[in-house]
This record gives sequence, C-alpha cells and structure tokens, in this order.
Amino acid sequence: MPIRPAIISVARTKFGEHYEKEPEKLIEEAWLKASIEANLERKDLEACYLSDYFLPITNKLGLEEGFLSELTELHVPMEVTRSFGSALSNACNAIQAGKYNVVLVGGIEKMTDRWDKIRDDLMLLEDPWSYYAGCTPEANHELMLRAYIKRHGLAGQDLETLNTALAQISVKNHLHGTKNDYAQYQRKITIEQVLKARKEAHRPLGLLDYAPISDGAAILILASEEAARKLTKKPVYVLGTSSATDYLTYPSREDMTHFLASEISMKNALKSAGKKVWDVQVVELYDQSTVMEMVSLEDLGFCKRGTAWRSISDSCQDYKGYYEIEGNRLFVNLSGGLKADGNPLGATGGAQVFEIVKQLRQEACERQVKPDKELKCGCVLELEGFGTKSYAHILGVE
Amino acid sequence: MSSEPVERRVSYLGDRLRANRCLICGKEFFEIRDYCGTCGRKSFGKMVNTDLFYEKGKLELCTLINEPTNKFTKLGSYIYGTISFHDGKIRVPGRLTDGTGIGLEEVDFSSLEGREVVPRFRRRYSVEKSEVIPTISLTFTFADEYYPYQEYRIIKPKKEYDTPGIVGYGVYTSKFRIKEGSIERSVPFIDEDSVTAAVEAGKLALIHAGIDNSWIGKVYVGSESNPYAVKPIASKVAQVLKLGQENEDVQGVDAVDTEFACKAATSMFKDAVALVNYPKSNIKYAMVIGADNSQAAPRDCPGGELDLFVGYGAAAFIFGKQDVIAEIEGWYSCTSDTPDFWRRDGEPHPSHGGRFTGDPAYFKHVRMSAKKLMEQLSLQTGDIDYFVAHQPNVQFPVRIAKELGFKEEQYAPMLQVAKFGNTYSGASPVGLAAVLDIAKPDSRILVASYGSGAGSDAYSLMTTSQLLDKRPNQKLTVACQAQNRFLQYVDYTTYRRLKLGM
Repeated sequence: MPIRPAIISVARTKFGEHYEKEPEKLIEEAWLKASIEANLERKDLEACYLSDYFLPITNKLGLEEGFLSELTELHVPMEVTRSFGSALSNACNAIQAGKYNVVLVGGIEKMTDRWDKIRDDLMLLEDPWSYYAGCTPEANHELMLRAYIKRHGLAGQDLETLNTALAQISVKNHLHGTKNDYAQYQRKITIEQVLKARKEAHRPLGLLDYAPISDGAAILILASEEAARKLTKKPVYVLGTSSATDYLTYPSREDMTHFLASEISMKNALKSAGKKVWDVQVVELYDQSTVMEMVSLEDLGFCKRGTAWRSISDSCQDYKGYYEIEGNRLFVNLSGGLKADGNPLGATGGAQVFEIVKQLRQEACERQVKPDKELKCGCVLELEGFGTKSYAHILGVE
Repeated sequence: MSSEPVERRVSYLGDRLRANRCLICGKEFFEIRDYCGTCGRKSFGKMVNTDLFYEKGKLELCTLINEPTNKFTKLGSYIYGTISFHDGKIRVPGRLTDGTGIGLEEVDFSSLEGREVVPRFRRRYSVEKSEVIPTISLTFTFADEYYPYQEYRIIKPKKEYDTPGIVGYGVYTSKFRIKEGSIERSVPFIDEDSVTAAVEAGKLALIHAGIDNSWIGKVYVGSESNPYAVKPIASKVAQVLKLGQENEDVQGVDAVDTEFACKAATSMFKDAVALVNYPKSNIKYAMVIGADNSQAAPRDCPGGELDLFVGYGAAAFIFGKQDVIAEIEGWYSCTSDTPDFWRRDGEPHPSHGGRFTGDPAYFKHVRMSAKKLMEQLSLQTGDIDYFVAHQPNVQFPVRIAKELGFKEEQYAPMLQVAKFGNTYSGASPVGLAAVLDIAKPDSRILVASYGSGAGSDAYSLMTTSQLLDKRPNQKLTVACQAQNRFLQYVDYTTYRRLKLGM
C-alpha cells in the first residue's frame, strides 16, 4: 500500500437518548474532543466525510453539508454517506490518492427525535418490498435465524444450545458495556432476562436480542502516513478497507442464512491489508441482533458455517472475556456492541472504530485486553440495511 | 404524504406480482427488468414477462409479527415470511392474511413452513382518508383452506352460439361470518373492500370460463360502496386481471363503473350481450361485476336497521357468444324516481324510507319487470325452472316469488341472503350464480333484480349443455362458500371493525 491512511484521533459522545441536544451539539462535542487530542483547528481540515443514515428525515435538517459548513465556517469539500464505514472508506481513498493530508470523518444520528415513525422509516429504507408485505425491522432477523436453523438441521439439544448461545451474546455484550462510560446501557443482564423477553414477545427473539434506538456522534481524524508522523505518536493505520453489496429484497437473495456482502468485504479487506483472518485479535461486529453477531463470526471466517453457536456457547460457559475458537482467542464487541453501546446508525461505525483504535493504542482503560500475543490488529464490520451493504476495515499499529 | 407515481409503480408490479424470466439461462425475477443479471447484455430483448397471480407458492420461512409498523397496526398480529414459487426460482416476502391473530402466539411456526399458499389481492396498509388506497398481492392464504388454489387454464372455444349469453361466472365472499339468529352474513377481512372483492370475483370468473383475459373488451363494475367518490373500481379490475390486450403498461379494454343502488350490475347484462353481438364492436367478451361491502349505519344510529342484513361479496359474469352456458332470451327494465334508499355524497352510510322501501318500491318494480318480461316472451310460471330476485332480506324475495306464482322448488335455490347477507349490487347476481351452480342444461331462469331509486331488470336465461362441461372448472362455488369448514365467526364489535377496513 503506497500511502497508508492513519487515524490520528478518535472521539465520540455517549450513546443514548439525547432529547435535550440538537444534532449539531452532538457532533460539536465529538469534534472538540478529537481536535484537542490531535491538537488541530478546524482550518487544518482539508475535507470532511460525514455519515448519517437518515438525519434529514428524522430531524428535518436540510443538506447536511450546508449545516456542517455553517457550524464550522468551513468551505472545504464535504461528502455525506449513509454509514461511518462508507465515510471512512471514501476518506481512505482520497488520502491514498494523495489528494488530502488531513480529513475529518464524522458520523451522527438522532433517532429518538422520531420515535413514533422510526420503525416504518427503517423498514422502508431497509427493504421496501418486504415493508409492503408487512415486514418489521425485527422480522428479517427472525427469518434469518429460522433459515440458519433449517439449513444446519438444528433440533433438540442443539437448538436449545443455539438459543441460549444467542442469549449469551447479549449477556456478554452488556457485560462489556458496564466498562464503557459512553455506552447506552451500562448494566449487566442475565440469560434468564433475555429468555423472558423472548417469551413476553412470543417470538424467537426478544427485546434483549436487539440493539436499541440511539442518538450519538463519533468523529475521527484521518491523515496520510507522512502527516500523521508529525501529528501523533500513536497512529493507527487503516491497513485494508473493502465493501460489498447485496440485493435490497432480502427474500430474493440466493442464501438467506447469512450475509454474502460481509463475507466478500472481509475477504477483500484482508487481502488488501495482507493479513490472514487469525491475524485479527479484536473485532467489533455489527450486532443489530444477537443473530447478526453469530452469523458474522462465520461470514468473516472466524467460524465454519453452522458452528459459531457452539463456539459461543463453549466460550460463554465460563466467560473469560473472549471467544475461544479452534484454539484462537477472539475478543468480540469490547465496547458492548450495538446491543449495549447503542446503535445511532450513522455514528455506530465510528464507535466501533473508536473501540478498536483505543484497544490498539492500549488506551481502553478497564476494557483494555491483553491477548497472548502482542495486540497489533483489529477489525470492524459495519452493515447498512439488512446486509445490503457491508464495510470491513482492518486496523493495525504497524 | 402520499406519492402517487410511486403508488402507481408499486401497485402495477405488486397487484399482479409481475415477474420475468431470462430465456437464455432460465433465471426468474420478481419485478420486471430488461436484462438478466447473470447473462448481461446478451439477454436484452430475451426476457419474457410472467406473473405469479394465478400461481401457487410455498411458505418457506415464517415468523409472528405482533408489533407491526405503524401502517400495519390495524392488522393486529399476523404471520409474515418468505414465499417461493417455481421450485424456489423466485422468492418474495409475504404476509398471511385472513387471520384474526387470535391464538397465533401458540402456533409452532415450523409446522406452517412448507405449506402451499395462494396470492390474494388485498389492501396493502392504512393510509389517510384522502390518499390513494395502496393495494398488493404479497398477501397469501393457505391453498388447502377456504380459498383453494385453482389453475387458470385457457380452453379453445368449441362452439359459436347465435344468441349471446353467460360464458363463465365467479362469486367471491370472504371466510368471515357474523351469525345472528338464523342469518349468517359474510364480513370482509380488514384488508378487503369492494375493490378487492370485484377483482377476486373477476379472477374466479376467468378461471371458470377458461377464456384468455386479453379477449375481454369491456368490464363494468356496479357498486355502491366504492371507497372512492371519483376513481373507478373497473380500472383496478382491468389492470390486475390484465383485461384486453396489454400495450406497455396500459390495458386495451374499456372499463367503467356503474351505479344504481343494488341493480348497478344487472342493468349492464343487456349492454354486455348487445356489445358482444354488435358485428363491428370487435369485442368477443364483456365482463360485468357486482361488488359491495354493503354499507349500514351502526345499529343504534338512524338507518341502523340495515345493519342486520348487510353482507360482503361480489359476483362476476362474462358474456359472449362462444361456449355459452346460459343464453339470454330477453329482458325488460323499468324505472321510476322513487326515493326509498339513498346515500348523499360524503355520507358514510345510506338512509332508507322504512316501510316505503316495500310495496311502492321493491315489490312494485320487481313485479312489473318480471310480469312484463313473461308477457313479452309469452311465458307462464310453469315454463320457468328457477326464479331469482333481489334479496335485501329473507322475506321480500319469498313474498314476491309467491305472489308471482312460483313454487318453493323454483325460488328456494336463489335464496342466499341468509348465508351471505345482502350483498347489494352482488345480491341477485349471487342468487343467479347459486342457481347456475346446480341447474341442468335447458333450464329457464328468470332473474329480477332491484335497485333503489328505483328500478328493476328482468332477464330470461336458458342454460345450455356446456353448463355441465364448465362446472368442474370452479371449486369455489356458492355452496362451497356458504358451507365451509374454514368459516370463521366474529362478534358484532369485530364485524364493525373489519367492515370499516384498514
């Protein structure tokens, strides 16, 4: 890779229900922290890449670039994407092309301002034909679970183990969330609570299997390798980044048991980073539901198809802070994942990158992990829609 | 906020479940596309249009939806899943309809997966009262329940008749009933209305007639419960059933709604036969549908007496000169300006003139049309095998039949009001269909409809031997819908809620 984009600072707000704050306040808060860390001024930014999934709909904002220009008094090029992963990917392309030296990558979402209509909006953007047929944002996750169970012929004890393993994912992510001051939920939950929520919902997945609706912002400053050397002592490099796409209509996809886009994007990201799957030591997965975390472990190549539930179950019997998969240790969703940390769509990927950067820089405080080998490489997986788009980023310190 | 162009595109594709297939590799796609993703440019021009409207699907995966999105909340709980067609070549999302949601929480969903389903044309979701009503056929019911899967086979016509008549018919009522005393009445499901009933009846009539949908040159829909004051039901019927030759996304058919209270459909029988008989019309077949989600004010309000009798349903008849099952021998229509029953524009429920709807209205007009037609054709009651009258309640049709001198065996088969309620524009047509379901060849049927306002159309029909040939084409007969083990009975509150719709 001729020019390696380097993350020189990361910052975020707490995720949660920020009724009292306007979207600009959230992004300002994140920017302020990031700029202090990098010791930069707004005028040092050559371009901005901002992501939000549907801020103009939820907050009646108008063009985000204009609102950001007004806020920052900047007139530099600005681009808006739907996910943080996409913004980061585009920023990396520009830096690698040698176009800019220092750019801002930001994500913002304020979903609670539209509580009443949010599920209709989400579903319509995610998969319109399914929406027209009566689908809800939750139902596709449940169908994927059904498809997975049928494909792998799981029944009896195995099925029970799988259902418990899914609950354990949620319990584990909440446990991680207790150590994250920025997380929306910083309390422990139990398997019994997850199972009870399913029973109350009368469905295969319950409230505690799903990520919440959140407000929040995240920002990182990306620089060329050369510029980064002057600006920070602890750069974290984006070693590889790749995205892939899939059909909008979930039932039309060839295989409903997993996300093809995740599989492709991870393969290509590893290839461009020159890494192998088990070079990755820490990973932030896109656990919009517990099913998504399980399936993603297989899509990214950590687990063989149809086996992730067993690895999760075995690792969570006596949880040591990581999944143990075929003799390898994998630290998953140390931030608490989308489940506990929160899921403000456009900013979610920013929090995922934030976590990996903090871990790689050994700055994760209580959450800091110490794998058996020196911590060098992490990975972020972010999806848009229901696996319609996938972004995989490989981050490393050398 | 509504977006009409989007609505047009979604319903154009979704009502008929339009799909297509690549002639090179055989891959199939829901929605229409100009080329195949696998074969690329070389497939351009080699994609054939198909649709899934008459197909049978398989429920592959499903789950319970008990917290729908906003626009679906009126449906309560329902089953949602993926439906495959053509051995899995096409998969679409789908909602199972016609379930009240009761007991769904106890269902083992894996037991439903793998069962066969039929696409049903329904309202899609709730919108504001001023908006266009969205529709879709991504709604399904199990093929082995109330509404069976029936193959739509085009049969090459065998015989040309001199006198035009009925070549096929279909009756549709929902599977829901309210039972009060000895009267059962059909109740629409919450996603049904007069438009969806008209389409269903038309679909069943095409299946029964075995004629190509593109041969229909005109469609008339008579109704007094069109959910629109302006916008025809007939345009939806023409589009969904693809009546007439299709050019781009427009159907080469004349489609029009008619209104004359309960005789809006029967009035057009003679126009339909005249049209197919006119040598230069180029129209081989014409379809007439009577469809109503019969309206009535709630029981404790003025006009609420009607609430004891109103039903829901539609009947469709196809008229032509080939393979006729009942020739139309003649007709007589009469009209007077008699205000016995009316609904002012913008009013949700009709008003009626109490006892004034009887002797000076119903009896006077039905008596006149029937008598005049019998005189005209020199017929005695003994020459007639079956008598069919409009049936607003149980007593009126029996009283007029007796008064005209008909015996019970002549009028009993038409009495359907105690099974489906008064289906308004569909009432005498449902009675006629019930008779056609059981009549022998060479039977004479006298039909006398009634429409408030007021008027009556009397027709004399003579059945042919082809009546028996076509009978096996239709599984969903009137009797099958009246007595069906999948009927679901609802209470008064549910009935009012379902009738009101989404």
